[in-house]
Amino acid sequence: MKILSLITAVLVGAVLIYGTLDMPKWGDPHSPANTHVSPYYLHHSLEHMATPNVVTSVLADYRGYDTLGETTVIFTAGMACILLLRAGRKRRGKDDV
Amino acid sequence: MFEFIVGHYNYWMYVGLMMIGFYAMMAKRNLIKKIIGMNIFQSAIILFYISTSVKRGDVTVPILEHAHDGHGAHAVDIMQYANPLPHVLMLTAIVVMVATLGVAVAVTIMIYRSYQTLEEDEIIMSIRRG
Repeated sequence: MKILSLITAVLVGAVLIYGTLDMPKWGDPHSPANTHVSPYYLHHSLEHMATPNVVTSVLADYRGYDTLGETTVIFTAGMACILLLRAGRKRRGKDDV
Repeated sequence: MFEFIVGHYNYWMYVGLMMIGFYAMMAKRNLIKKIIGMNIFQSAIILFYISTSVKRGDVTVPILEHAHDGHGAHAVDIMQYANPLPHVLMLTAIVVMVATLGVAVAVTIMIYRSYQTLEEDEIIMSIRRG
């Protein structure tokens, strides 16, 4: 079983490394990720939001609905943790009685 | 060839880290070790995304300089600032990572309370015994 897992991990790693051969070089300022949409945010963030921190303006203004959904994720996870742990404690209490 | 290796070995590091986490998720029998493997996997993905935002040269964090000195909006040299988008997306990913970690640990605590063990094969044996 462990051998099978090791073979799977090595195979998937080999496929992923084959995929990285086409990636742009590390730190290339002209890579697609650095030239496609991110210049728009750097150019217009100050004029649209008056926020010098571009990460903040993208997180809280351009992608504000995404961040709202993110707080829903956190809320759901917190509620799941609380309900799971409290349910366990109650059942153990019943067993004691 | 040497230049190619210098430009790409960071990706290979992330693939290695990711496969360590993947192996831990598949091969380890202890549930806590599986969760640690999942976290290593997610951290590797986050490092990979952050590495795509790097620009070589005279580059700082994406906080615009002279933003409030009264001259209004002026031209921004994008080669001066790192790419902000991977940072934003990975903030979201870190939030999801924390949420999954919390729920996974809570479920693990419940499993421990029911079976008094965290070893996967012992849990399966105890389920088969009824």
